[in-house]
Amino acid sequence: MDATPSNAPEPAPSVGPESFRSAIPALPQGISRRSMLFGGAGLVVAPWILAACGSSSSTASSATSSASSGAAGGATTSAAAGAPGSTAVTSGASGAAKSGGTLRIARPPASTVETLDPASSLSAYEYLGALYSRLVKQDASGGVAPDLAVSWSVSPDQMTWTFVLREGVTFHNGKAFTSADAVYTLQHILDPKTKSPQAGVLSPFLDSSGITAKDAKTLMVKLKSPNAEFVSLLMNYNCYVIPAGSAATIGASGIGTGPFSLVSFKAAGKGTVKANPNYFGGAPKVDSIEFTAIADVQARVNALLAQQVDLVAQTNLDFATAKTVTASSTATTATVKNAAWYVMPMLYNAKPFTDLKVRQAFKMAYDPQEVIDLSIHGLGTVAHNNPVPPTDPNYLNYSVPHDPDKAKSLLASAGFSGGQQIYTSSYEPVMSILAQAYQSSVKSSGLDISIQTASADSYYTDVWIKKPFCVSYWYTGRPVDQLLNQIFRTGSSYNESLWADTSFDKILDSARKEADAAKRKQYYQDAQKILVDSSASIVPFFADRIIGLSKKVVNYKEFGFEFDYVNIGFGA
Amino acid sequence: MLGKLMARRLALALLTIVLATVLVFVALQALPGNLATQILGKDAPPDAVAQLTAQLHLDRPGWLRYLTWLGGAVHGDFGTSLATQQRVVSLAGDYLRNTAVLAGITIVVGITLAVILGVVAGLTRDRLPDVLISGLSLIAMSVPEFTLATLLVLVCAVKLAWFPAVVTDGPDASLGTILHNVPLPAAALSIVMAAYIVRMMRTSVIDVMASEYVAMATLRGLPRRRVLLHHALPNALLPALNVIAINIAWLVGGVVVVEAVFNYPGIGTLMLTAVHNRDVPVLQYIAVIGALVYVVSNLLADLAATALNPRLRTPARAS
Repeated sequence: MDATPSNAPEPAPSVGPESFRSAIPALPQGISRRSMLFGGAGLVVAPWILAACGSSSSTASSATSSASSGAAGGATTSAAAGAPGSTAVTSGASGAAKSGGTLRIARPPASTVETLDPASSLSAYEYLGALYSRLVKQDASGGVAPDLAVSWSVSPDQMTWTFVLREGVTFHNGKAFTSADAVYTLQHILDPKTKSPQAGVLSPFLDSSGITAKDAKTLMVKLKSPNAEFVSLLMNYNCYVIPAGSAATIGASGIGTGPFSLVSFKAAGKGTVKANPNYFGGAPKVDSIEFTAIADVQARVNALLAQQVDLVAQTNLDFATAKTVTASSTATTATVKNAAWYVMPMLYNAKPFTDLKVRQAFKMAYDPQEVIDLSIHGLGTVAHNNPVPPTDPNYLNYSVPHDPDKAKSLLASAGFSGGQQIYTSSYEPVMSILAQAYQSSVKSSGLDISIQTASADSYYTDVWIKKPFCVSYWYTGRPVDQLLNQIFRTGSSYNESLWADTSFDKILDSARKEADAAKRKQYYQDAQKILVDSSASIVPFFADRIIGLSKKVVNYKEFGFEFDYVNIGFGA
Repeated sequence: MLGKLMARRLALALLTIVLATVLVFVALQALPGNLATQILGKDAPPDAVAQLTAQLHLDRPGWLRYLTWLGGAVHGDFGTSLATQQRVVSLAGDYLRNTAVLAGITIVVGITLAVILGVVAGLTRDRLPDVLISGLSLIAMSVPEFTLATLLVLVCAVKLAWFPAVVTDGPDASLGTILHNVPLPAAALSIVMAAYIVRMMRTSVIDVMASEYVAMATLRGLPRRRVLLHHALPNALLPALNVIAINIAWLVGGVVVVEAVFNYPGIGTLMLTAVHNRDVPVLQYIAVIGALVYVVSNLLADLAATALNPRLRTPARAS
């Protein structure tokens, strides 16, 4: 058990990786996970370690990996996706929740300067969904669902968006929600003083002057360049709606339109929210939620086992710990399918990865099934170097098969000698195991990988996007447009491989201009094919997140960046 | 004579504290990463980083920043936390109180336990009580404190539910809450700390009991209890005093790990966060406190030794 920081906190950065926040890498757990980190990026995170064998027994961990079979045959393309379905979660238990009770949640603190301002990179993530609502949220199949906006439409040129807002919604302080609040919220996100991670996503095609209120219930957004996927970007957890004029106070007041209202909040400390009986989505089952900040992962699990808390948030239990939890008489586990994707970015501007043949060889050289089995006991889904999860409606089922001989000949024709160093750290437990699994899997291709372990708490400042080859991870849950533009587009700040491909960028632009949803999907699939064939990122798998909760809790539901605060409760 | 000795000790103590702060400062400069990038995020524009760097005076040379800090510190001004902008002294106040409670209870319980067990072991040399006590203390010395802490949690909090497993309150928890939560962390620290002192006490009791003056006192027919309490014990404690002092200083560092396991809002927790944030003023303050504890506990051990042994009061003859 690692009781110490080593990890900790998730430490922190503001984010944490342990969190599923997005963009922000997490911190070592020991400490504050997010603490300061970078602002935003989210790398994902959670610790799991994987331990040993077997399948974790009990209840809820339905961790079956529906891995799309690995290595198989030639490059097949099929328009995938069928029913996007259940990405989500298996709950510890479902069924009738009795009303009432206080749900106690342990969470890793973002940092000692965390805030309730949802736009901030230092926001206390777990409070956001309880206190606030967004214009739109994500549904279980990855699509866009109404929240404060009941409907939306876009002009034929994909430049002007109109949102019809929900009637009769009030903030926790009694003030009515109107389009002025929606305008203010978007402008607050774009304000450079807010330093919101989401500003970088939106600002390329949106500035404050384009955001206006047509009337009290209609929000108009005029973009600088076409974007047919704009609405999906508002599902982000930085986009929760705050009252007009509240920038200076929202960090402490937490006034939103969400299912719970704030009773108390202390940065990196304890806080309480109580049910909002007027919530437009229906009153929550529990009377209140008490949040406890616990920096150390093991301490969070201990709190669960000792029944001091009912749910451990943003914590991926390692395999051994999951077994301990399910063996206890009071706690159990639930699984969030494909919660994170792991990646080994190869710096596009560094030798030997400037050579397409080398990049292809590195992707072809490992056996995906072997790597996922070794790294996470198969608790996840093979990704075939495509970061778009199979549950995304735009997913492309395409892979280049594992082929050690071809990898060898590609390396030979590139004149590559066969030795390469990869960086990893204890920032997050899977990272180092993945490096080892990759190292062993590529031996048969003649690749000699040496592993360099760097300090966890400066990993994302000194190694990531600095060293030619390293290990990283992100949470899933971003809409496809954001995922591809934020992490793979030429010049994007989160483009961790510095990959630059103008044909790829053009396809993304075409998709944004395309009004026809089917054609747009085709563009996103074309983009995925380019990623698989020539990007500078090795993406071996999506990993499930195993969370711990009390056996008394029912209707736990979580996927992407969505957490169901309304229906979770205690069994009768 | 004694005055001169004390003056020398105090000067050394001061030097120790200053050296500790220099070492901490230098070590922090050697760590990769800096506060401005930690706060602003990895994709912050370079001019924003430069601006914050200047605002935090991180662009000034290290020696100048250190001297500035030292200048403030001698006037009792320990500066402002770079991460939270709070005054360091008030920021650390609650954490210090919590660690003081934990350390105080640990010291009282640990030393009492250790002295009693050490004496029992020494008096029953090689018989059952000694074998048990010596064996257990060897085990306690060998087990890392976080393993011990985790075992205590599993047994006393999870299985038996006697005590809470972790502290769910922040640093400003009420004293009542802290006292309610202190038993397990105090037990973990007491056990590790006591183990070392038990070994020392046992050896020392065996030596003293074999000495001529104890034999003499016994031969003269003094009651065994009087021999023990008035003659043997004070002399047996002498060699153990420095071990006790070192263990008290160890507490300041040892709590870091134990506090993490129990989510205990003490100085160790604050230190972890501060290291992570590269929050130099907070760490410097903790370094001063740690060095102070070290110096004072050693000083007290020497004074206690002097009190216990009249010969030490007159240095000329003692040597």
